Amino acid sequence: MMRRSLIASVLLMGFSLLQAAGTALAQERPRIATVNYPLAYFAERLGGGQIEVLFDVPEDRDPAFWRPGLSAITAIQTAELIALNGAGFANWTTKVSLPRSRLVDTSAGFSDDYIATQSLTHSHGADGEHSHTGTAAYTWLDFKQAAAQADALATAIKRRLPGVENIDANLQALNADLASLDQLAADAAVALQENTLIATHPRYQYFARAYGLNIDALDWDAGEAPTDAQWADLARRVEERGAKLLLWETAPSAEAKARAAELGLTSIVFPPLANRPTQGDFLSGMKVVLQDLSDAGK
Amino acid sequence: MNALYLAFAHLRWNWARSLVLILVGALILAVPMISEILLRGSEDALTRRAESTPQVIGARGSQLDLVMDALYFSEDRATPITMAASESVWDSGLGLPIPLYTAFDTHGARIVGTTLDYFEFRQLAVLQGRLFAVLGEAVIGSALAERLGVGVGDTLVSSPQNLFDLDGVYPLEMSIAGVLAPSGTADDHVLFTDVKTSWVIAGIGHGHEDVISAEEAEQGNVAANAALLQFNRITDANIDSFHFHGSAESYPVSAVIVAPYDTRSATILRGRYLDADNPLQLVLPDDIIADLVDRIFRIATLLDAVTLIIGVAAAAAMGLSLFLSWRLRAEEMATAWRLGAGRGSVFALAGAEILIILCAAICVATLIVLSVRTSSEALLNWLLAL
Repeated sequence: MMRRSLIASVLLMGFSLLQAAGTALAQERPRIATVNYPLAYFAERLGGGQIEVLFDVPEDRDPAFWRPGLSAITAIQTAELIALNGAGFANWTTKVSLPRSRLVDTSAGFSDDYIATQSLTHSHGADGEHSHTGTAAYTWLDFKQAAAQADALATAIKRRLPGVENIDANLQALNADLASLDQLAADAAVALQENTLIATHPRYQYFARAYGLNIDALDWDAGEAPTDAQWADLARRVEERGAKLLLWETAPSAEAKARAAELGLTSIVFPPLANRPTQGDFLSGMKVVLQDLSDAGK
Repeated sequence: MNALYLAFAHLRWNWARSLVLILVGALILAVPMISEILLRGSEDALTRRAESTPQVIGARGSQLDLVMDALYFSEDRATPITMAASESVWDSGLGLPIPLYTAFDTHGARIVGTTLDYFEFRQLAVLQGRLFAVLGEAVIGSALAERLGVGVGDTLVSSPQNLFDLDGVYPLEMSIAGVLAPSGTADDHVLFTDVKTSWVIAGIGHGHEDVISAEEAEQGNVAANAALLQFNRITDANIDSFHFHGSAESYPVSAVIVAPYDTRSATILRGRYLDADNPLQLVLPDDIIADLVDRIFRIATLLDAVTLIIGVAAAAAMGLSLFLSWRLRAEEMATAWRLGAGRGSVFALAGAEILIILCAAICVATLIVLSVRTSSEALLNWLLAL
């Protein structure tokens, strides 16, 4: 009995030591905070196990509109590098205090190529008229732009975290994977060339521009059942543009899928992967989507 | 011993005269030492801060005003420039720009809008709480917190710049997120906030009730009148409504501190601002302050001469006062002479009186000098901020 408890104590002590060592190791690793999953994925690929990636957006939240709490902001403030997407993605970054020396705007290199979205003009008091111009934010859906963002992140890691090794080799591998996605997207676009696509949410502006696709965007709430008025609007657009494919941001309900089929639309789930997927990763997730698009075009 | 006793008794009897003599003597001794302490202290404070600030970019004009505003948050504010000056340094990859916007005050103290990099650059530690995290939060300097009796969780309201500017700057209530540890610099006497929060005070960024509903938004152009409720406190509930107008590069800043990455970068940066037509100038605080200190010490030499002349005059006045008091005591001395006191005893009595006055004056002067030395840091910061 005594021997058994002694063994248990030794095991417990060993486990505690291992846990403490693990925690210490995790604390010692430099941290990179990112505002979306693609950047988190790029950081993980570039740094391997040498860095800790801080991306704590809850699974059910859209990182573009999520706002971190105070404790999360404090954690982000202390990260060695903070990777922003740019193009107006994650508006919360304009309302919190982040150290400029540790920020990297990964899309700054192609900011002239941002796509402007609808703007609202208004005035208050004697300030005169002004407008809040929107910018399409899902830049990484053009995989060449995604590669440029990965490049910018790699450069920032090399400058801020000189101790992280193999960045160039990891970047090369990542760029090769992004190039393969770019090729897959281009192939899918060839198959889809004759089609007009309708998207349930305006997410795919860069994808459409990069691969020469005509994507008409609705503004349905993700995860909510469309209203009759929205279905009527969709039916009108299908009739006007002869669309055959309907892109969903998240998997639609069986009922919604069936109703779309009644309008002659094939439903394809195209998650932009702004948040971390429950299964797979950025590369595998995008491959599935691009394969689905390619198959649908045939 | 008897001479000391008699001299002390006489001085006590004429206490008012003795007190004046002691105070005058103490001042003659203390003033040169106080001016030396303050001069050396100001030289140290000025040069230490200047040496730790490699470069400052600001509007072309008085270099001294620019440095005094950027380093010591002086009363004279530098002409504002735009955030583009900071962005161009950042884009050049030659150094780290730290913008400073010092246009506003609260309770007689300067509000310094900056970025978190400032605290790392100046190696400022937080004593209580944390650094600011969201719009509307501030971090207070230790001396200011003590003066106002505020701490973490309290709020401070920015002072309106102009009572008649009803359409301009709105007072903003800022919550104190942290108190800085004392640093013995101008940073102890100001309120720090994110530069974006200072732009909210300037009216460039603001939050208000929804102007329109989602349905109305589709109709395009919307006008809201002056009755639209603007928030003067940023809370978790209304922070999402805050937005900024125009390009961030056009927003004002008072100066930009630049920390070049290396000597080569520093040289390249200097070269970029040499053109006299450039509305911006880059100054080296070390050079400007060295020049200022040099001038101060030239003036100090003059002051020393004046102090010496005044000291000699005051000492002569003291001597005359003692001499006259002895002339008044001539009859008293004659009585002592008749009683058998020798010439030596009379001189001993006079010497003891001078010795007691001198010792008392040295003690008082020491106390004055020590008290000035103890509070010299605060005194210097106050003087430098003028």
